[in-house]
Amino acid sequence: MIDSNPTFRGGLFHADLPDGRSGASIKLTRTELVAEALCEGQPQFAIPLNECQLDLGGASGKMVFCRNADRSLTIFSEDPSFVAAVAQSAYGTLEAQFRSLRARRRGEANRFRVGVVAATLAFALVCVGVYFGVLAAARTAVRALPIRIDEQIGEMAIQSLVPEPRLDADHPATLLAHEIVQQLQPHAAIPEMNFRVLVVASDEVNAFALPGGQMVVYTGLLKKAESPEQIAGVIAHEMSHATLRHGLQGVSQSLGIVAAVQFLVGDLGGLVSIGSQLAQKSILTSYSRTAETEADLEGARMLHEAGIDPVAMAEFFALLEAEVGDIPDVAAWISTHPQHAQRVEDIRRLLQGLPKKQYRSLDLDLKATQQALQ
Amino acid sequence: MEVDIRNRPSFANLMVQLEPGDRIIAEAGAMASMSSNVEISTRWSGGMSKAIVKRVFGSESLFVNEFSTSSPGHVVLTQPFPGDMVCTELTGNTLFLQPGAFIACEPGVTLGLGWAGLRSLIAREGLFRLKVSGHGRVWFGAYGAIFTREVQDEYIVDTGHLVAYEPTIAIRVGLVGGIFSSFFSGEGVITRVQGQGKIYMQSRSFSGLAAWTNTHLY
Ligand SMILES: [Zn+2]
Repeated sequence: MIDSNPTFRGGLFHADLPDGRSGASIKLTRTELVAEALCEGQPQFAIPLNECQLDLGGASGKMVFCRNADRSLTIFSEDPSFVAAVAQSAYGTLEAQFRSLRARRRGEANRFRVGVVAATLAFALVCVGVYFGVLAAARTAVRALPIRIDEQIGEMAIQSLVPEPRLDADHPATLLAHEIVQQLQPHAAIPEMNFRVLVVASDEVNAFALPGGQMVVYTGLLKKAESPEQIAGVIAHEMSHATLRHGLQGVSQSLGIVAAVQFLVGDLGGLVSIGSQLAQKSILTSYSRTAETEADLEGARMLHEAGIDPVAMAEFFALLEAEVGDIPDVAAWISTHPQHAQRVEDIRRLLQGLPKKQYRSLDLDLKATQQALQ
Repeated sequence: MEVDIRNRPSFANLMVQLEPGDRIIAEAGAMASMSSNVEISTRWSGGMSKAIVKRVFGSESLFVNEFSTSSPGHVVLTQPFPGDMVCTELTGNTLFLQPGAFIACEPGVTLGLGWAGLRSLIAREGLFRLKVSGHGRVWFGAYGAIFTREVQDEYIVDTGHLVAYEPTIAIRVGLVGGIFSSFFSGEGVITRVQGQGKIYMQSRSFSGLAAWTNTHLY
């Protein structure tokens, strides 16, 4: 016998079935949905199409459920042709039910997508919040630590971070830098800090400070300067990095951020890499824009107190900026100290707020020192 | 073929008595011991590309083993974590199993690997699920005790506790309450199980074990 009604694979729920469920072979007649259970005994169940309540769902979201009026029988299938067949049956009376179900599903899918995007954004915000929280906490915590820690980190870093060759302690250039440090020291925020200066023989225009008061000045910078006051400006700026403890802040922020990342995403094996990170020059000697502005203003304050014109510091920035285009490879200090125009402006504004003072010139022979460096 | 679930519920294992002509298909690595006359043959479960994807992302192994014999013998099948096992008989219907839950089935059962989707991943139920369908008995296991529920409309399960569900069930991800309470209540993301059908849950979860272990590591 040829059965003109198509059959579909699916399943059914009914209390009479063992365990209340079975796989089923589903047939669609003109008036009824007939499901034959695939379990033993093969009982048949039917739902009149005019009674059929449709639902869409299931794990795939594409399963069609048909229930009778008292919901005691459920026939379902995921076969795509079943959906089409049911929609067309009963003279299209079920099509309207399908349309509203599909619209509801689309709404749900959109809400899910919006939810995923919102959750991703929220997570990103939490990360950003933790990042800035750690930065702020590290700044506060560092101030409470003894200076001895800065000095120990600085001493450990000298060997690996200060390049060779270094000038002798009695070289005129070393003596000049040392004399400037001596004159500025009484006006430092932490005058008892053990300030020392090493001069590196290199044509790089560079200077940096290690935590604890060890400063490093390159001969390239000394040769480039037009007055000893300009060198004093750079040294005051570097001394300020030490007294404001920016190096230790960088270390603690790096440690704090590694710890925070571990907290957020689970262990990354990150603690292992901290040791090697500590030895990186960039963490100890290149600072945030905020730190640079702080060092500028503190440096300018020191120079003012010492009776040296802070404008010389601003002049030196301007000089370096003018030359940086010609010889970019020697201007290392410039590369870690950007935004010169803004910095010069900030220093000038600070000076306007300070009491007028008769500035002195430093009694140092820069020309002779520069000749000794040739 | 007589199959007995022994040592329930904590350390459940399957004692399979094979008569000539009997066959049982088991997850590779599930065999703990067997009679020397029982024969093992290994084959792929699912297609090749799915097998590779599964190797990379799924926790279940690529292969299944088929045990058969020409004279009476037995096989003992286990799961790698402590917990209960259940048997369910398929009569042309389908069941989705979470990765790692499948232990064994009769030859009339078809195994297929399916993409479970992003929602399932967020619900910590994995990106893939094993689809078992056809006719015959299926055995699967869980971490801890197994309990079932006939869902009528909606039911809420903590993430990582769902072991198996029927395809008539939709899995949705939800938050316990608002964002704040979800973050601090320790429940966080939950699974909303919607539709009509049976779900199998486990009393323990692997993420719960991992969290507990973490607090005792330092
Ligand atoms: Zn600086």
